[in-house]
Amino acid sequence: MSKEIQFPHAGIVLLVGPSNSGKTTLLNRLIDQGILLRSEIVSSDQFRVLVADTEFIELNKRPKDEQDVLLAEYQLISQKAFDGMADLIETRCGLGKLSVVDATHLWPDDRKKYLDLAHRKHVPIQALALDMDEKLLFERDEQREQPRGRSRIKQQVRAFRSNLRSLKTEGFSGSYILNEVEIEDTLFGRSTNPLLKEVGTGLDFIGDIHGCYSEFLALLDKLGYQSDEEGLYTHPNGRKLVSVGDVLSRGPNSIDCLKFFINHVEKDLAYMVDSNHGWKIARWLDRRKVELAHGDELIPAEFADYAREQGQEAAEELKGKVRSLLLSAPSNLVFTSNGVGVVVATHAGIRDHYIGKESKGIRDFCRYGDTEGFEESGKPIRKDWFVNHKSGETIVWGHDPRPQPMIINNTINIDQGVVFGGRLTAYRYPEKQFVAVEAQKDYAEDPESFLQKWKKERFNPPNIQSFLKGYSVMTEDYGEIKIHADYVKSAIEAISHYTVPIEELLYIPPTMSPAPEPSSSDHYFEHPQEAFKYYRNQGITTMVVEKKHMGSRGILLLFKDEETAVGYVGSAKLGTIYTRAGRGFFDQTLSEKLIRQLNADLHQGQYFTKNNTDFVLLDAEILPWNLKAKELISSQYAHVSEVSLLDRRKLLEKLELAKVNGWEVDSWIEEYKGKLENAQVFREVFQKYCWDTQGVEGIKIAPFHVLAHQGRTYFDQSHLWHMEQNRELAKLSDLLIETEFKIVTNERTEEEAILWWEEMTENGHEGFVVKPERFIARNEKGWLVQPAIKVRGRKYLHIIYGMDYLQPENLVRLKQRNVKRKQRHALMEFALGVEGVKRFVSQEPISRIHECVLATLALEAEPVDPRL
Amino acid sequence: MQLAIKATGEGAKMLTFLLSKNPRNLYDRMDKGHRVRLTYTVFSDREVEAVIFVTPDPVELVKNSPDTYQITQYINDREFVVSSIFCSDIRSALGTALNGRPKEEYLDWAKHAIQLNIGFGPVATDLPDSAIKELFETLGYQIEIERGQAAYNFQLKERSSARFINLKGTVTVQKALQHLFVLIPVLDNYRHYFIDEREIDKLERYGEGWLSHHPLKDLIIKRTLRFRELIDQVGAKFHQPDITKVNLTNIDLTKLDTTPEPTLESQPVVRLNELRYQRVVKIVENVSSKESIVDFGAGEGKLSVRLGFIPGVKEILAVEPTEKEQLRALKRFSEASHEDDFIAPIPIWGSLYYYDEQLRNKDVMILSEVIEHIDEGRLPRVMDTIFGSYKPKVLIVTTPNVEYNPVYQMDEAVRHKDHRFEWTRAQFSQWTHSLARNYSYEVQLDGIGEGVEGYGHPSQIAIFTRQGGIENE
Repeated sequence: MSKEIQFPHAGIVLLVGPSNSGKTTLLNRLIDQGILLRSEIVSSDQFRVLVADTEFIELNKRPKDEQDVLLAEYQLISQKAFDGMADLIETRCGLGKLSVVDATHLWPDDRKKYLDLAHRKHVPIQALALDMDEKLLFERDEQREQPRGRSRIKQQVRAFRSNLRSLKTEGFSGSYILNEVEIEDTLFGRSTNPLLKEVGTGLDFIGDIHGCYSEFLALLDKLGYQSDEEGLYTHPNGRKLVSVGDVLSRGPNSIDCLKFFINHVEKDLAYMVDSNHGWKIARWLDRRKVELAHGDELIPAEFADYAREQGQEAAEELKGKVRSLLLSAPSNLVFTSNGVGVVVATHAGIRDHYIGKESKGIRDFCRYGDTEGFEESGKPIRKDWFVNHKSGETIVWGHDPRPQPMIINNTINIDQGVVFGGRLTAYRYPEKQFVAVEAQKDYAEDPESFLQKWKKERFNPPNIQSFLKGYSVMTEDYGEIKIHADYVKSAIEAISHYTVPIEELLYIPPTMSPAPEPSSSDHYFEHPQEAFKYYRNQGITTMVVEKKHMGSRGILLLFKDEETAVGYVGSAKLGTIYTRAGRGFFDQTLSEKLIRQLNADLHQGQYFTKNNTDFVLLDAEILPWNLKAKELISSQYAHVSEVSLLDRRKLLEKLELAKVNGWEVDSWIEEYKGKLENAQVFREVFQKYCWDTQGVEGIKIAPFHVLAHQGRTYFDQSHLWHMEQNRELAKLSDLLIETEFKIVTNERTEEEAILWWEEMTENGHEGFVVKPERFIARNEKGWLVQPAIKVRGRKYLHIIYGMDYLQPENLVRLKQRNVKRKQRHALMEFALGVEGVKRFVSQEPISRIHECVLATLALEAEPVDPRL
Repeated sequence: MQLAIKATGEGAKMLTFLLSKNPRNLYDRMDKGHRVRLTYTVFSDREVEAVIFVTPDPVELVKNSPDTYQITQYINDREFVVSSIFCSDIRSALGTALNGRPKEEYLDWAKHAIQLNIGFGPVATDLPDSAIKELFETLGYQIEIERGQAAYNFQLKERSSARFINLKGTVTVQKALQHLFVLIPVLDNYRHYFIDEREIDKLERYGEGWLSHHPLKDLIIKRTLRFRELIDQVGAKFHQPDITKVNLTNIDLTKLDTTPEPTLESQPVVRLNELRYQRVVKIVENVSSKESIVDFGAGEGKLSVRLGFIPGVKEILAVEPTEKEQLRALKRFSEASHEDDFIAPIPIWGSLYYYDEQLRNKDVMILSEVIEHIDEGRLPRVMDTIFGSYKPKVLIVTTPNVEYNPVYQMDEAVRHKDHRFEWTRAQFSQWTHSLARNYSYEVQLDGIGEGVEGYGHPSQIAIFTRQGGIENE
């Protein structure tokens, strides 16, 4: 019977054998058969040539003094060649490639360094020893161009034979010894990576089931799986199930869940990865000495029941099957689409360089997550392994339950604690949707359960020391954002004195930049053309332009009812309205009145029911301007308007008198007439945004983003969708108004938009905002682009750049402004805003939301030209 | 910004010589980037008027950092109103007149009081019309104040904050200008340059002969020199003004923004603060464990610094989240550190809305006049952090007694505009007892300040003492 040897898909294969044992010949054969690639072969001879242009140095015919030198040289070359080989092999291992090492590897020490390397790189390593008859080796040597000589071969054979027996115990994942006959009879093959699977027609990742079998079946039903006559659940579209582990323990029906996966994994209808509870039970079934706790103790009890009902034999048989299911569960699975790994399933976490690999270390990491203290480099490991994920795959995991799926940095946690009375979540790929069923009860009844702890600790005040020295926020859309200590302090000062409670301060709207270039026209400072140009340069062709209301930015968090708010912000209230600085927008009485009215209006329109939500978070402009800015308008704009008009009128009177009496002051008069007009425009402009209000009456709220509802954000929706939502909202309440907008896709629509802008701004309106169609837009290079560009009108800018800004000598200088810093801030604040709302929706601890809000307030404390 | 000077009557034409400006020419110069122009508007035997005006470069004025002129807003009135900027811009154009040094043949006229009509403005000042009138009427002028237009399409303000001042008087041109060069900056109360000793010279020169007996002398000196060190130096010349009490004849200036001064109203508050500090210090002195103390909302460190002298105290953490206050506290601590047996408090950046591990398990924690600055709705969480996480052995809380407010005959509902609430004795008692019950503390209540039958004491204090295990975790 012939042997079969499967070379691994990746890792190391060491050939072992004296010179002339046929290693190279064998490898050439395998290359010819297409089992190996030429580039997978790494040989010491090849490396001697690479490092020193020579394969072999003949010593025997040399005088003694030359021999000594040459021997030393040969040893040095060999050493360097082996160093180079090791580097190359390590690199290949890191990249998940196979390296077959063609060298003698006679001594355990020769092999040990590759074993260590493979272990370090978490790849399999095999040994293949060629044990040939000594005579054959001599014969072959004589035929060589550069024979090694009898004595040396003899020496090698002795070394080889004396160490052959230890090969089995050195730690290879496979070792084979072939003699000259076997080598001809052996069938060689190549295994594929068992961790790679195809996405196929779709996958449904299932969170930690923990024996909640009926919830699991309900979820399967909701996902569209149907039970066939054999009791197998299949999906009409051929979708497959992927469990992220912990299908057992804590809950009522672990055995049912295990049987399900035994049957479905066997039939290739489902996959299941390894997990901490699974591993514990596997070891128990392996008759290891383990302490069963944390719900694992329920498993022996279930098996005892099973044995009573089905007999001891059936129970033992089942135990065997469970054992093999659990022991064979991979630490991680990589699902490919067109050969590319796009989504990874693992239980508790994974590092990027573990993906698609398997080793003891990786299995431990995937089972328990990031629990070590320090990395190899001595750097402390952040427990949040997911912040370091950069390699692009979506990683789906469970293990660490939280009330909502947590999406961070392209990782998705789908353990919503069904066994603790939470939910069982499925994540559908490639649809990227969540489907969940509620737990029928709290099975675990653990007073220390995550839901209780989560609820209890969620509103714990943030740890000030984690901010004070400066800190970083990892955002999904911008990556790491660093915040300097100085600005953190001033933001904390504001929060300690003025803002609404930290629990309610969820989102600070980002600053907004004008286009990078000023208008090319001498008559304008800003013009829509430059904004359109900016987006077109970023490869964005569809834009939404929204009229910019001139009031004050306001954030509205509105709850269905007071009780509902407790779970979200920790106290009973109908809602809150605050400014960009985080301060309450209105005084308490007016605020309550407004919120009550909005609440009644939204209920009247069945908003909460229709949208199946406990709350709505709106980003809006609240009008009129004087509502919030009365003091500022009075002391600054009105005052400047009054003094300038008085100054210019008075002076013109004097100059007219001088002119009448013969002084040549015509040019001065012209100059001051123009200035007087500028002062009049200034006075008209700011009044345009002001009107009297009486309590709630006269207040207008123009929402433009529906940021979030219960359990979801709307950053994935286009601005057209948001405008549509706002239109619907405006229908529900007299307090809410809709925002006019246009879509720009081509020259014609761009022209129309420009005409619209010119008309409204000549009328004194502030201007409009140009946005890319998508809420979160990126350019071709993948960089985030400005989420919005403001284009302010000629008249409006009088109150920003001074009443005489349009005078050519002023405008030309003002146009030298630089918006880079402003744009960078806009992007960072945007990413922080999105991040914070996502965290809020996932009901993350308030400190995780607050770090985003605090960061934005700190960025706002940095000096940036306020006129931009 | 402009100034018109009209001379009428005999010798009106002398004005041109005194100003040393030829009526046939227009004066048009750039001075420090500001355009200074002068023209006559009338030139007859009995009436001559010159108008001088400044047009600053608006872009330069606010360029780069508005700090250049200590301007905090890009849209501001500095470009338009008469201020120290205006005075320094016209200084060289009017130098001859201001110094009273025309050509020799006109020297007599320089000393001659002429009937002058002076218009200048616009003026932006926090002084009421009555004060402006007193400033000038004392000097022999008839004064008329014009206001700008304040009618808007929405309700904004009663009247304009832009004023234009017209003076009429018989005075030498030099004296008139000296009055203006002193009083324009006083009205405007802003300086675009650093004030130093030279300001005293200027004040002495321009104020000669009138300032020392001006009834608003103290106001003028204080607004001109601003800093105590400088004000003290002019004491000899102009009598030491009492800057803690600007005594303004018949004008009520208490509402003006002139550096913090104790007004009549705040007198009892000062005394009460002192009493409160004394009481807290006394309590701490009598506490058995007092090695470590946390002073929450330490502000400028007035209480913390007193705690530093208590024997047995080894550590004081002065927690405060306001930079300005913390800087003052630092100064206070370093001054006190020269004294013997003083433990310097350590300033900590923090507030009750955050958690800070280093505040756990201290001997004494103090919330002196802190809770009333917290929205009532937020108190439970804040107190939970204190009792549940920080667990001080002793917690001292003081807060105003709202029942006492009628004794002060206050207009306002609360004693400070940032007070989110003020409690009756019953409210405070209920709150403290419920906390003590929930967190296993014992509480004692008392009053601070002079008690009045039926109103209680101005301030109330609670001393919480942790019960049961005193072990440090």
